Amino acid sequence: MAVQANPQQGFGRRGARFGAPVEKPQNAGAALRRLLSYFRAERRFVILMSLTVLISVTASVLAPSFQSSAIDKIVSAQYALLPKALALMLTMHLIHGLTNLLQGWISASLSQRIVSKVRKELFDKIVHLPIAYIDGHSHGDLISRMTNDAENVSNIISSSLSSLFSGVLTLIGTLFMMMYYNIPLGLLSCSTVILTVLFTTFFSRYMRRYYVKRQALLGQLNGTVEEMVTNYKTITAYNRQESVIDSFTETADQLTRTGIIAEIISNCMGPVMNMLSNVSFVIVSVFGAYFALKGYITVGVISAFIIYSKQFSRPINELAQLYGQIQTAIAGAERVFSVLDEKTECFEGAPVKEVSGVIEFRHVDFSYVPEKKIISDFSLKIESGKKIALVGSTGSGKTTVINLLMRFYDIDSGEILLDGQNIRDIALTDLRDSIGIVLQDTKLFSDSIRANLTYAKEGATQEDVEQAARFAHCDKVIAKLPDQYDTMLSQTSVSLSQGEQQLIAIGRAFLSYPRILILDEATSSVDTRTELQIQDAMNELMKDRTSLIIAHRLSTIQDADQIIVMDQGHIVESGTHRELLSRNGKYYDLYMTQFAGQEI
Amino acid sequence: MVHLILKHLKKYAHLAVLAAVFMVLEVYVDLLQPRLMAQIVDDGILGLNNGGVSDLHIVTSVGLKMLLIVLCGGICGMMSGICTNLCSQNFGNDVRKSAFRKIMHFSFSQTDRFSVGSLITRTTGDVSQVQNMVSQMIRGCVRCAMFFVAGSIALLSLAADFGMVIMIALPVILLEIAFVLWKTNPLFKLLQSRLDRMNTVIQENVAGARVVKAFIQEDRENRRFAEANDDLVSTQFRVLILMSYMRPVMNIVLNLATVAVIYIGSLRVQDGAIAPGKVMAAVTYLSQILNGMMMLAMIFQTVTRGLTSSQRLKEILTTESPITDGSGSAASSGGSVTFRNVCFSYADHGADVLHDINLTVGAGETLAVIGETGCGKSSLVNLIPRFYDADSGTVEVDGTDVRDYPLSVLRDKISIVLQKSELFSTTIKENIRIGNPDATDEEIRRAAVTAQADDFITAQPQQYDTPVAESGMSLSGGQRQRIAISRALVKKAEILILDDSTSALDFRTEASLQKALREDFRYMTKIIIAQRISSVRNADRIAVLDNGTVVACDTHENLLQNCRLYQDIYASQLRKEDA
Repeated sequence: MAVQANPQQGFGRRGARFGAPVEKPQNAGAALRRLLSYFRAERRFVILMSLTVLISVTASVLAPSFQSSAIDKIVSAQYALLPKALALMLTMHLIHGLTNLLQGWISASLSQRIVSKVRKELFDKIVHLPIAYIDGHSHGDLISRMTNDAENVSNIISSSLSSLFSGVLTLIGTLFMMMYYNIPLGLLSCSTVILTVLFTTFFSRYMRRYYVKRQALLGQLNGTVEEMVTNYKTITAYNRQESVIDSFTETADQLTRTGIIAEIISNCMGPVMNMLSNVSFVIVSVFGAYFALKGYITVGVISAFIIYSKQFSRPINELAQLYGQIQTAIAGAERVFSVLDEKTECFEGAPVKEVSGVIEFRHVDFSYVPEKKIISDFSLKIESGKKIALVGSTGSGKTTVINLLMRFYDIDSGEILLDGQNIRDIALTDLRDSIGIVLQDTKLFSDSIRANLTYAKEGATQEDVEQAARFAHCDKVIAKLPDQYDTMLSQTSVSLSQGEQQLIAIGRAFLSYPRILILDEATSSVDTRTELQIQDAMNELMKDRTSLIIAHRLSTIQDADQIIVMDQGHIVESGTHRELLSRNGKYYDLYMTQFAGQEI
Repeated sequence: MVHLILKHLKKYAHLAVLAAVFMVLEVYVDLLQPRLMAQIVDDGILGLNNGGVSDLHIVTSVGLKMLLIVLCGGICGMMSGICTNLCSQNFGNDVRKSAFRKIMHFSFSQTDRFSVGSLITRTTGDVSQVQNMVSQMIRGCVRCAMFFVAGSIALLSLAADFGMVIMIALPVILLEIAFVLWKTNPLFKLLQSRLDRMNTVIQENVAGARVVKAFIQEDRENRRFAEANDDLVSTQFRVLILMSYMRPVMNIVLNLATVAVIYIGSLRVQDGAIAPGKVMAAVTYLSQILNGMMMLAMIFQTVTRGLTSSQRLKEILTTESPITDGSGSAASSGGSVTFRNVCFSYADHGADVLHDINLTVGAGETLAVIGETGCGKSSLVNLIPRFYDADSGTVEVDGTDVRDYPLSVLRDKISIVLQKSELFSTTIKENIRIGNPDATDEEIRRAAVTAQADDFITAQPQQYDTPVAESGMSLSGGQRQRIAISRALVKKAEILILDDSTSALDFRTEASLQKALREDFRYMTKIIIAQRISSVRNADRIAVLDNGTVVACDTHENLLQNCRLYQDIYASQLRKEDA
C-alpha cells in the first residue's frame, strides 16, 4: 500500500518509542541517590538482607574447601576423618541454602514495597497534574512511565540489588580462597575469567548495533500491527488487505533477517562462554595436576578449584549483565522522577459552600502557546439561574472558555469571577464541585453502568440513579443491556454507540445536580428528538440553576436566555434567538445555512 | 496447539534436527571432561596404573586432548545455536505473517469479539512467546535430556552405587519443580489480568483526566488505583516468593547429593573398587545432571507460557471468516441497492437490531437515513459492503445478492465513510490515496476540493505532504472527517455511503459539501446517514428508521405531510417558535 512507501516517515517515531535498547541516564548519580532514599525508609529490610547475604556468601565460599579436604582424606586413605569433613561441608551448604531462601523472601518484600510506593506516588501525581501537562504530553509516554519504567525500577530493586551485593562479596571471597590455596593456580584460573569478560564486552558491543536495529524494526512492526488492526474497518472498506499484508510481510521478513544475525551472534555467546569455562576446567585440571605432582597442592585442592573457578566467573558474567540493566533502570527512574517533580494543581483557596451561580469574565486573555491568542479581551456576565448558549464556528474558542472556567487552564490576564469572587481564590475542589460538566469527548470508565452514573455522587440511591437516567434518556438504553445497571462496560465500550455513551455521560452530570451545568457538544451524536426531550428535562432540572451550553445545532439552543456568538476568541453578537435573527448578522447567517437549505 | 506448531515447523524440520544433533555433540563433549580429568588425577598424579609413580606426560597429553575436544564442543554449540535460530525465527515469522493475514480478513463481528487490543498482543507478544518456546524446546530439551541420560550413564559406569543418589535426589527435584509450577501457573494468569486492570485504570485516568478533575474524583481514583495496585503487588509477591524457592532448594538437594556421592565414593575407594579421581569425576557429573534438571525448570516456564500463547494464536489461526467470497461475478453496474426482508442482530446482544427491512435505492439516487440514536442506521449500511451478514433476508447490489459477489468486487463498488474517521500516521496525501492507490496528485486534490478539505490542507505547513500525527490527534474532528470523505471520493465507486460522517462539520461547510457532491458526483448512488434535517432534506428520498424498522421512506415534503416521527424530528430542530 502506498502508505508504506516511506515507512521511516510514518513509523519512525513509533520505532523510537518501542525500541528501547540500553539507554544512558542523564544524571545517573542524582537518580541513584534518590532511588536509594526509598531504601532508607526500609532500613530494617536492607540490614537484614545485607546480613543474610554476608552469611550465605561466607558459607558458599567455605564449602568447597571442606569438600577439598574430604577428597584429600580419601586420597590419603584417612577414612576415619572423612565424616567430619563431610559434616562441615554439609553444614555450610545448608546454611547457604537456608540463607538464600530468606534472601529471596526479603528481596521480594523489599521490591514489592518500594514499587508499590513508587507507583502510588506516581499515580497520585498524575491525577493531580494540571490538564495543560496532560494535554501537552503524549499519553502513551505517560502511561509507559507508570508501567514500563516503574517495572524496570522494580526489577533493579528485586533482582539486581541483592545479586550485586552477593556478587561482589562472592568475587572477593573466592579470590581470597584461591590465593590462600595457591597463588599461581589462582592467577591462572582468573586469567580465563578475565578472557571471558573481555570477550563478552567485545561481543556485546558488536551485538548492540544489531539489537538497536532489530528494536527499531520491531517497533515499526508493532506500530504497523497496532495501526492496521485499529483501523481495520477502513482497510476492509477499501479492499486494502492484500497491500497491507504485503507491506507487513516486507517488514516482518526484514525483522527476521536482522533478528537472525543478532541472534546468531548472541547464540554463539553461550557456546563460546561454555567453551571458555571448559578451558578453565582444563587449565585447573592440567596445572593443578602439575602443581600436585610437584607437591605444592593436594588433589583435593584441584576439586576445590574446579568449584572456585565456576564461582568466580558467575558473578562476573552477572555483573556485566547487571550493568546494562541498571543503566536502563536508572534512565527509567529518571523519567519517573521527572514526572514526580512536576508541579501539581494548587487546591488551596477560600472554601465556598453555597454557590448562587453568577459567572463573570472580565477582559480575559488566553493563549495555549504564547504567540497565538485564543481568547482576547473576553468579557461576559452570566446571571444566576439563566441558560446561556455559546455558538460559533470550530476554533472560535468556545471550549476554551469552559476550560478556563473549570480552571483546567489558567488565564493570562483579566479575571473570572464566581459569585463576585475571583476563581483563583476559591478552593479548586469547591469551584469544580459547584459545576457539572459533560464533555465533547465522552469518557466512561470500565466499571458498571451504575458506578459510571454515580461517579460524581457515590452512594446515590437506586431511585436517584433511575431518575437521572430517565432525565438523560439513557434508561431505555440501559434496560436493553444484559445486566441493566450492573452491566460492566469493557474498556473500549464496543457495545455502546457514540450517542448512547453521550446519554450516560449526561446522566452522570444530571445525577451530580450541580449549581452550574455545562454541556460542551454533549449531544452531538444524539438524534434531535431525544435531544429535545433531554432539554425539556434539563429545563425542569435546572430551573433555578445556571446552565451553559455549547452546540453546533442551533435548534439545541434556541430557547436560551442569551446566545453568545463567538468568532476568533471574541464575542461578536449576543442576545436571544429572536433578537439575533432580527439583527441579520453572523447568527442570522448561521441560522439560514442550517434551516433555509443549502443553496448558498 | 501442538498440531499448529508442528504444521508451521515442518518446513524447517531439517534445521531443528541439525540443531539437536549438534547439541547432542556439544553435551557429549561436556560429559567427556570429568572422565579425562579423572584420568589426569588417577594416572597422572597418583599413577595408579603405574604402581604409584606419577607421570607428567599423561597430564600434558590428556590436557591437550581435552583442549581439542573443548574446541570441537564449542564449534558444535555454535552450529546448534545457528540452526536453532534459523529454525525458530523463520518459524516465528511464518506464524506472525499468517496470523496477520488472518486478522486482516476477519469479519467485523470477529474483530469485535477478539477486541482490537487482544489482536495486537496476539500478533506481537504471543508470537514471540511461541517462538521462544520452539527455540527452547529444540535446544533446552535436548540439552537436558542428554545431560540427564548420558550423564547418568557416565555416573553409573563409574560405580553403580551412585545410582542410588540420583534415584533419591531426582524425584525430590522433579517434585519441587512440579510443585512450583503447579502453584505459579494459575498465578501467572491472575498476574496478567491484574496487570491489565492496573493498566486500564492508568490509561483511563490519563485519557479521562478532565472528567476526573471536573467531578473532583481524584481521591476515588487514587483509591481505585491503590486497590488495583495492591492486588497486583500481592500477586507479584506470591509469584516472586514461589520462584525464589526454586534455586535454594535445588542447591540444597544438589549439595546433599554431592556429600552422599563423596561418602559412597570413599567406601568404594576403601574397597579398592574405584580410584579417587573417579570420585571427583562423579561429583562433577552429578552437578551436571542436576544442573540439567534446573534448566528443565526454566524450560517448563517458557513452555507453559508458550503453550498459553499458542492457544491464543490457535484461536486466531483456526478462526474462519464467515464472510467469504461468493462464486458469482458482477453482472451489471449502476449501483442500485435493495434490502429484502432483512433481519439482523449482533451476536452478543441477541435482540434484533434490524427487523424485516425492505428498502430499494435506485442507481444514481440519493437516499438519506434518519432516526433515533441506536435505531440501527449504521447497522443497515454495514450490511451493504458485508461488514456483517444479515441473519435473514437478502441485501442486493445491482440485482445480485451481496453474498454472491467476490468480496473485493463488491467492496470496489462501494465507498463508505465511517462514523469514526480512521487516519493513518502518514501524510495527508497518502491518507487520501488509500481510497485509490492509482490516484494522481491532481485527482487527490480534486477529491479534497469537493470534500471541502482543500482549504485547510493548503493552510498546513507542508500542505498535502503534512504528516498526520498519532491517529490524527493533530487535526480537529471536522478536519479528520473531511480527509476521510476525500478518501472516499477519490475511490470513484458506484455507491457512496456517509455514515453520520459530517457531524463535526459546521453548517456552512456541510452545505457546500452537499452542493459539491450533487454537482460533481451526480451519477453516484448516495446513502447518507445524518441527524440534521438540513443534511437530509435535499435527498431524493429519506428513510425514517425507528427501532430497527423503516417507518417511512419518501421525499422531505411528503414526509412532513404524512410521517409523524419525521414531523417530530423536524419540529425538534426548529424548536417552538417556527414549528
